[in-house]
Amino acid sequence: MRFLRAFLSRPVALTGLVLFAAIVAVALAAPLLFARGPFAIVGMPLLPPGAPGLLAGSDVLGRDMAVGLAYGARISLLVGIASTLGAVGIGVLLGAVAGYYGGLVDDLLMRVTEFFQIIPSFVLLMVLVAFLQPSLASTVIGIALISWPQVARVVRGEFLALRAREFVQAAKTLGLSDARIIFAEILPNALPPILVVSSMMVGSAILTESALSFLGLGDPNLLSWGSMIGGSRSAMWVAWWTTVLPGLCIMVTVLALAFIGDGLNDALNPRGRR
Amino acid sequence: MLVSLRDLRVALPPGADRPLAVSDVSLDIARNEIVCIVGESGSGKSVTAHAIMGLLPRGVVTTGGSILFDGVDLLKEPPAALRARRGRDIAMIFQDPMAALNPVVAIGGQVSEQIRAHRAIPESLALRQAGDLLSQMGLKDVAGLLKAYPHQLSGGQRQRVMIAMALSLSPRLLIADEPTTALDVTTQAQILKLIKAIQAERQMSVLFITHDFGVVADIADRVAVMRHGRVLESGPVAQVLGAPAHPYTRALIAAVPRDACALPPLPQAAPLVRVTGLSKRFRRGGLFSRRADVAAVDRVSLILNRGETLGIVGESGSGKSTLARCVIRLLDPDEGAVLFDGADIARMKARGLRPLRRRIQMVFQDPFSSLNPRRRIGDILTAGPRAYGEEAGAARARAAEMLRLVGLNPQAMDRFAHEFSGGQRQRIGLARALMLKPDVLIADEPVSALDVTVQAQVLDLLDDVRRRMNLAMLFITHDMRVAAQVCHRVMVMRHGRVVESGPTREVFAAPSSDYTRALLAAIPGCGRI
Repeated sequence: MRFLRAFLSRPVALTGLVLFAAIVAVALAAPLLFARGPFAIVGMPLLPPGAPGLLAGSDVLGRDMAVGLAYGARISLLVGIASTLGAVGIGVLLGAVAGYYGGLVDDLLMRVTEFFQIIPSFVLLMVLVAFLQPSLASTVIGIALISWPQVARVVRGEFLALRAREFVQAAKTLGLSDARIIFAEILPNALPPILVVSSMMVGSAILTESALSFLGLGDPNLLSWGSMIGGSRSAMWVAWWTTVLPGLCIMVTVLALAFIGDGLNDALNPRGRR
Repeated sequence: MLVSLRDLRVALPPGADRPLAVSDVSLDIARNEIVCIVGESGSGKSVTAHAIMGLLPRGVVTTGGSILFDGVDLLKEPPAALRARRGRDIAMIFQDPMAALNPVVAIGGQVSEQIRAHRAIPESLALRQAGDLLSQMGLKDVAGLLKAYPHQLSGGQRQRVMIAMALSLSPRLLIADEPTTALDVTTQAQILKLIKAIQAERQMSVLFITHDFGVVADIADRVAVMRHGRVLESGPVAQVLGAPAHPYTRALIAAVPRDACALPPLPQAAPLVRVTGLSKRFRRGGLFSRRADVAAVDRVSLILNRGETLGIVGESGSGKSTLARCVIRLLDPDEGAVLFDGADIARMKARGLRPLRRRIQMVFQDPFSSLNPRRRIGDILTAGPRAYGEEAGAARARAAEMLRLVGLNPQAMDRFAHEFSGGQRQRIGLARALMLKPDVLIADEPVSALDVTVQAQVLDLLDDVRRRMNLAMLFITHDMRVAAQVCHRVMVMRHGRVVESGPTREVFAAPSSDYTRALLAAIPGCGRI
């Protein structure tokens, strides 16, 4: 409760939360509001925003931009959240094991982590997605695979610090199993930085998905903000709204998540509570 | 009078446990005398000292009274004038010299910078003055020291450097905030002697903050006892120590452990733990750097009998904690055996060790890190028994009973560790260890983080529990006074080796090694309180 109050008392965090909630609401409501789906052609191409019945204009194929943006939110958020969950899962597991056991296990796991970190991650992602065939699942798996090292590093650092604490030694002398010590004793204490990293990571995953879709490596059967920009780049100079509006959506979403991450960081850090 | 505090009031920020950190404190410090403020944590003794220096933490403000320094009210001085006074008129030294020194600047640079901040002199001259100061502080090899970095110095050397920096501008008042609390007892004795010698030589005044009545007896001319932000009693040291007027002062002095009450050795009982030739080395360096082994514990043997307390005494780096952690297998010893009830647990694999683990339990030093902050006390207490298959309801019932045994309300079960004081947390830590019905209890500095009155209560509780449960207790401490109070036998360690061991009474009355004699002589207030 105290944490929630500390979080909500920050204007930045509250702004982020409200914006993000609004985007989630639109994404959830899209099929109810626009039953015809994002691919239906509703009129002449490249009508400007404000044309009769078209709040955000139409794109190069005469599809309703507003519908596209609402459905695009579904895909962008889904990819962002699912790939972050995957990355956090892998990262927490490897980081926790490396940090808790240390020594040889740590050396080994950290070399693997570095292997993923030194490869240009976007190139690796493109190769992965192309190899797995572009689809929603391959996008999510690919982004999770390039994002987990960041989580693993943070979790390892926390575990290295926490495993020296006396309550962990006490748990060992009590005869608790390693798995219980790692997940029930240490992990809850390492949650704050994990939460902060994850909220930021959702934003960067959305950006990465947009970049992939822009390059045509997204799921061809789904419309996302990135693929909307990619599909409209030929009309960029004659119909600004076709690229600017989805770009704005990406920016606002990532910004909202960054605000939330910032607010979490301040609220979870006791010394930051001013 | 050099300094006169009159009805000083310092307010804490809203939401603190009390409105005033310091309420109506009046205190005089004459020229050429050492005044001690003694009190437990939260007594307001440090805040008083920082108020004189004008260095209160954010949110803490003086709201009334006056601080007269040589007739001038420091509270009414503009900030610039006050800043010029710091270092020149009033200087301060702190508990942790490592935190007060800049880790990336050589000692010579730090001391000379302090001088040059107030006096326009060339750097070479400032460096020479710095060297002179350091040698006055009893430091050897000054030329090498000026080029050294803080981490290369010992704790005692660092504190001497801090004192040199504080004295570099010949201040008239030196404020010392627990300057020896983080030091080993022999180093503490040297630093106290140094402060006293310098004070007499320079005829300056010293305000010395401490929690230890032994230190007071060693160094003070006059003493003020503080509690809850008020001065309860003040006067010449002989009067306050010899005939304390306030009941709290009497309680504080009575709580100082004394060697007079050393426990008699127990009649020969059955050995429960037998350690032979135990060694533990730590490896420094890694894959590409040269490896160096440091022997933390070097061929140590001991016997622990059922129902007795064996004290392991030593200064920091003596290997006493490493030894304890090898016995309980938090660390794996390199050599030697730990025979527990006939089985060698030093070499045992995890599976074989598990049933024996519950019979050796440990109480830790730091009451703030030894309890998981994210779990309720009830969960902390029942985690052990549950891991050995005890049913949840039965474990909770026993946990409630155990809390009562250690003097806490069973309602504590539903609360978190941060809701308790340091002494209460140590009681919870003890309850956690006892939940597994151990035969051996290892107590690693269990009272060194506690105030002296709380310390006495926890020591009594430990002794009571030992007797009731017929425990064998391995008691690790750096404090000879504490060891004398609770141990039947003691073992003195230095640099990983056993220097001396025997019944407590004999070791204290007739120590056979020079090191033990030095340790005993360094006890603050030795023979005076």
